[in-house]
Order: sequence, then C-alpha cells, then structure tokens
Amino acid sequence: MAATTESVKADAAEAPLLNKKNMFAGAALYIVFYGWVRWYEGVYGWSAGLDSFAPEFETYWMNFLYIEMVAEIVTASVLWGYIWKTRDRKVMSITPREELRRHFTHWIWLVMYAIAVYYGASYFTEQDGTWHQTIVRDTDFTPSHIIEFYLAYPIYIITGVSALLYAKTRLPAYQQGLPLQYLVAVIGPFMILPNVGLNEWGHTFWFMEELFVAPLHYGFVFFGWATLGVLGIVNIEVASLSKLLKKDLA
Amino acid sequence: MSASQSAVRSRAEAVKVSRTFDWMILFTLFFIVLGGYHIHYMLTGGDWDFWTDWKDRRLWVTVAPIVSITFPAAVQACLWYRYRLPFGAVVCVLGLLLGEWINRYLNFWGWTYFPVNFCFPSNLIPGAIVLDGIMLLGGSMTLTAVVGGLAWGLLFYPGNWPIIAPLHVPVEYNGMMMTLADLQGYNYVRTGTPEYIRMVEKGTLRTFGKDVAPVSAFFSGFVSIIIYFLWHFFGRWFASTDFISGENL
Repeated sequence: MAATTESVKADAAEAPLLNKKNMFAGAALYIVFYGWVRWYEGVYGWSAGLDSFAPEFETYWMNFLYIEMVAEIVTASVLWGYIWKTRDRKVMSITPREELRRHFTHWIWLVMYAIAVYYGASYFTEQDGTWHQTIVRDTDFTPSHIIEFYLAYPIYIITGVSALLYAKTRLPAYQQGLPLQYLVAVIGPFMILPNVGLNEWGHTFWFMEELFVAPLHYGFVFFGWATLGVLGIVNIEVASLSKLLKKDLA
Repeated sequence: MSASQSAVRSRAEAVKVSRTFDWMILFTLFFIVLGGYHIHYMLTGGDWDFWTDWKDRRLWVTVAPIVSITFPAAVQACLWYRYRLPFGAVVCVLGLLLGEWINRYLNFWGWTYFPVNFCFPSNLIPGAIVLDGIMLLGGSMTLTAVVGGLAWGLLFYPGNWPIIAPLHVPVEYNGMMMTLADLQGYNYVRTGTPEYIRMVEKGTLRTFGKDVAPVSAFFSGFVSIIIYFLWHFFGRWFASTDFISGENL
C-alpha cells in the first residue's frame, strides 16, 4: 500500500474520488432554483393566484403548470435514459478504487435526494397548509399545489429514481437483487404523487374546511413513512464501505 | 476485482474517505428523515402545532407527543442497535424543528403574514434528550419505551410551558373571557377558525383542580409507550438490508 512513484503519478492523472465541484454545483442548482420559485410564489401568488377564473391565473399559474410538466417528463426521460444507456455491463469486474469512486458519486445522488425530499416533503408541503388557511381554494390547481404536487414532488421522484438507477447499474453491492428498503425509500415517497388523486377527489366531493390533520390527508402520512427506508440504504452502504476500507483502517 | 487490491493509497486516505462518508451520510439521513418526519407530524398533529389558539391544555398536550414519538423510536432502533450512536431521537427532533422554523418564518410569516409569535412550533427537545439519555444509560429498548415513552409524554407540557404561559393569561374582550392566544386567533381569521373545527379544550371534569394538563400528559405518556414499541419494530424493518429478485416483482 506504500505510495510509489508510479502510484503517485496515477493519482495525479485519475479523477478525484469525490467530485466536490459536482456536489456543490448540484446542491446550488436546487437551492437557487427553489429560491427563485419561492420568489415567484411571493409575487404572483397574491397578484395572480387568488381567483382561478381570472385571466391572469391562466397566464401566471396554469402556464407554469404546463411548462413544468413538460420539463419534468423530458428531464426524467433524458436522465434515466442516460443512466441506463451508459450502464456498466461488467460491474462485478471493477477495481476496488473505482468501486469507491462510484460509491462517492452514488452519495452525491443521495445528497441531492435529501435536498429534494426536504423541499418537497417539508418546505412546500407545510407551506401549502398556511396558504389554504389563508385563501379559500376554488381549484385543484392552486398556486401552492402547482409548486408542491407538480414541481417539488416530481423533482424528488426524478432524483430518487436516478440515485437508485445509478446504484443498480454501477455498484457491485446492488447486484444480488433489488434492494427492498431502497425501493421503499424511493417508491414510497413517489406514491405521494398518485395520492394527490385521493386528496383532490376528497376536496372536490366533500366541501371541507381546511384542517391539515383531516383523515383525507393520511395517505400522504403513510407514504411519508417510507422515507425511513434511508436507514436500510445507509446500512447497505456502510457494509460495502467497511468491506472496501477495513483492511486499511485496521 | 482482486481481493489483494486496495481501494485507497494510504491509511491517511482511508481515514479521510471514512470521515467524508460520515458527513455525507449524516447530511442525507438528517434531511430525508426531516422530510418524512415533518410530513408525518404536520398531517397528524399539525393544526395544534401551527397556531397558539390551538395550543390548549388538553388536546395539544395529548396529541403532539403521541404522534411525534414515532420517528425518534424508529431512528433510535437503527442508530443505537447498529452503531451504538445515542442520538437518534435528538437528530429527528432537530430536523423537525429546523424544517418547522424555516417554514414558519419564510412561509407562515413571509408569504401569508401570520406573526411568528402566533405560529411558532412546539418544543420537543427535552423529551428527545431524555429518550436518548435513557437509551444510552440503560441500553434497553423496553426500558426506553416504558420510562422514556412516559417521560416523552410527561415532559411535553413543562417543556413548552415557559413559551406558552404568557399566551394563556386571561383577558376580557368585548365582554367575553378568553386567553391571549384565543385573542390572537380572533384577530387572525383562518379558514380553519370556526369553533366546531378548532378542536381545543372541551369537557368539564377537573380532577386536579382547574388544570387538565397533568391528566392529558399522563394519558399521552401511556400511549407514547405503546407507539414507541410499535415504531421501534418499524425502524428495525426499515433498517434491514433485504434484497428481492426481479421475478418477485
């Protein structure tokens, strides 16, 4: 394991184990984008988002909805397609150092998933509560829903599935089958999006006062529990990393 | 892949790699648990947590601890039993409070203009410290569930008392007696304001003099014990590392 002239040369030539630039750029992308979204809500929520029958609602909110839906479908197709298309077909033959590098890249994906889950499940979901306590809803597509359900949730779904696809196509630790807790951690929060169907159905057919703890919302709660699947992911990763580093840390 | 090959060039690099992963894992765990815990808590106890005029001596004291002991129990089940890390409950609660404070300030106040002294979140820190402390000192899930779960329920109201007490002083307004918190709600009308929706203190039994909070806290502690057991096993399942074959899907 001693550093030789050859290994030092190899180190200088190879890509870094952790690409910090990618990680911070990725985090900045989410934070700056959501900062802009929050600014948009602040300005156009009050000026154009109170009456869904008004023409300005169509201009500033429905058009936002149409654009984001197209952008999400395109992003998911390109990103997932790229990760799948460039998969490693000899994943069990990679060197330990390459495996370590891929674990770091995988964790960059998971850090992005954490940021995306925070914005979707925490920031924009509770924000929805205060909007509905203030403005009586007259549409399924309220300004807060257009951001929460149709922007923030798809973004964490796209990010989570990308992380899972990356692990499955590039890391030896995930070749023995499909990791159940990983699937739960990604598919569970994904199911929050279809559960919007129940939510809107209930709000449409029952005239309900705004109560955040209403049983109608329990579907979101149930699928939110699935985020705990991250504990299983951590355990798979710690076991793999221990195997890679144990000899050198002993 | 040769078993004799090493993933790192030196022991120093191995240590650096290990520490870097620690931080990335902690960050990811913190924010994903924050997201899951927050959506769970806001939709099972949220209304009591959002507004001071819902923070009564009975249902707030009963509901908030019962629904909030869930994620701490599950995360403890992984962090303590797998890694002997005695901070599962505190990590969860810090995450939840961070998510709530950011929201109350930037959105409740920043978007819909409710003053922060009307919509601040409940304090869960004392119960979390005790829950982790009992796990650390006792090392037993049963002891933590029974003693820690009870303490979780009992400590909730005292832990919030210094914050809420000034808002529970009585005032007379338009010939009616109410608390300052009620008066805040009266002035900040919300869609959830009508009295048949606002599920606050109801009932007439006053076993311990005028105050119903101790009874509520004790009942809450009792249910928290049961919920802790349940969620401990949820946590163990979520922390397992099962693989399934594609044919099973």
